[in-house]
Amino acid sequence: MSPAGESVRAESLAVSGELGRRRARPPRSEQALIRGALAGSEADLEALFRRFWPRAYRAAFLIVHDHAAAEDIAQEAFLAAIRRLDRFDRRRRFGPWLGAIVANRAIDWARARSARRETADGGADPPSPPDTPVGRYSQEVLAALAALTPEHRAVIALRYLLEYSPGEIARTLELPRGTVNSRLRRGLDALETRLKEMDR
Amino acid sequence: MSAGAKKQLRDFRAPDEIGAESRAWDVVRSAYLERERHVARRPTWRLAVAPALAIIVAALVLSPAGASVRRLINHALGEKHAAPALFALPSSGRLLVSGADGAWTAAADGSVRRLGAWSQASWSPHGLYVAVASGDQLAAVDPRGTVRWRLARSAVSDPRWYSPSGYRVAYLSVGTLRVVADDGTGDHPLATGVAHVAPAWRPGAALGPFELAYVTARGRVVVRNGDTGRILWSTAPGPRPFELTWSADGRRLLVLSRHQARTYSAGGALTSRITLPGAASDGALSPDGRELALVVGGREVVVGRGGSFHEVLPGAGVKAVSWSPDGRWLLVSWPAANQWVFVRVAGTPRIEAVSRISQQFSSGGAALAFPVLDGWCCTAEGSAG
Repeated sequence: MSPAGESVRAESLAVSGELGRRRARPPRSEQALIRGALAGSEADLEALFRRFWPRAYRAAFLIVHDHAAAEDIAQEAFLAAIRRLDRFDRRRRFGPWLGAIVANRAIDWARARSARRETADGGADPPSPPDTPVGRYSQEVLAALAALTPEHRAVIALRYLLEYSPGEIARTLELPRGTVNSRLRRGLDALETRLKEMDR
Repeated sequence: MSAGAKKQLRDFRAPDEIGAESRAWDVVRSAYLERERHVARRPTWRLAVAPALAIIVAALVLSPAGASVRRLINHALGEKHAAPALFALPSSGRLLVSGADGAWTAAADGSVRRLGAWSQASWSPHGLYVAVASGDQLAAVDPRGTVRWRLARSAVSDPRWYSPSGYRVAYLSVGTLRVVADDGTGDHPLATGVAHVAPAWRPGAALGPFELAYVTARGRVVVRNGDTGRILWSTAPGPRPFELTWSADGRRLLVLSRHQARTYSAGGALTSRITLPGAASDGALSPDGRELALVVGGREVVVGRGGSFHEVLPGAGVKAVSWSPDGRWLLVSWPAANQWVFVRVAGTPRIEAVSRISQQFSSGGAALAFPVLDGWCCTAEGSAG
């Protein structure tokens, strides 16, 4: 990690401690970080990246279920965001803007993979070991959502990982609001069923 | 709806989050630094702060403890004393590059020629032709850019010539590996479910056998006969490779993944497995097949053999490496600094850098983009790198 990255981490640690409550300043707004990045501040860009990367990567992974692809998708989304940063409307929130890029790219990737599977010849590869997430119930979350289509998973990821409103999801994925709600309900039902099975 | 289910979703964690974040930041930072170099307008406060910053930097660099700082600064934004233009290559041969502004060649005397609006390119074994791809087009052009044949296929990428005769060209098209004869005839699919990794022909005799290695979407390495389609051998799914390279004599296949280099015999036996000294993003086998050059962590270029590596160039944002045909020089592509750096790795170490690479491979129409290195032509067996 670069020295700037270390300072970003140190700042977040200080905020959580007793000392931090006395000394730490509130984190800078994303608008301020974007302004800084546009003015050439690598530290501001890094702060922006560290703030939004984890959820972007998790959302991509939840949709594609492939960590290498998820890493590429989230990375490409950030690169696209940087390329367009000077055209970004700063009245909008950065997170949803980035999340839309991630979700749409992840859906495209998952669709392309499905198409490849359909045309695979008889000598297709045996299933590779699954990518294993590390959170306490992450494996169960992944398994519960595996039965859903990428489009369904995208709705879930946008709502509960990226904290979009249903209206924002509908606009991002160009879906009717009712479809968004039904997909959310179906995804949560699947997850709930899986968690109940675990509890037995 | 269960609050528990929502909580599990919020608490969800993907695999290797820290590693993924670190690798992505290296790439994003490099792209940002490159972008910054193209932004002409600078805020006035930076001008005001600049003298003070210069004093602080000077104090750091001149202090005894400042050696590492000085090294860092030297390599943060490229090599000092870089030539302002590519006046000549330090070794014989010709370079092939491609990118947003088309495919280009650079001759030993530094002259450059645009081959056309192609986004990818690959030398034929003796540099007589170039296989080029862009969008839904695959073509063979001569070094003047004249199209000899052209083929329309969906989303074509990564064309590669059979070595040493160039009688076949393999390429990817929407997850399918395809093969076409060198005159543009006989195009056929060879395998589906293929990963986006350039295939590699095993060097052989002029008339074959045409054996081709590729990576499946599940991370297996497979070697097939390019004409009959018969699978000769394959590996179990493993770390996802990003590069395949045969040794010039065709006896070893190098499989590079981010943290591991594996070599296989021509018959498919695993002969070595080396843990790399960091996350590799690019690698190239020397023309004699004895040394491996790697870009590690986006921060340095290392060269080694048998698992022992030494650094030949530190530099934030270095991207790719290519060997000269004689194996004495490495060309390091450094987009963050808008430079190419030639590093002599045989005999007395030496560095020659060239700046303003994006400008030199631009036709003036498109926005400046740093070109991708496609090869340094030609060894007896084919283009290096």
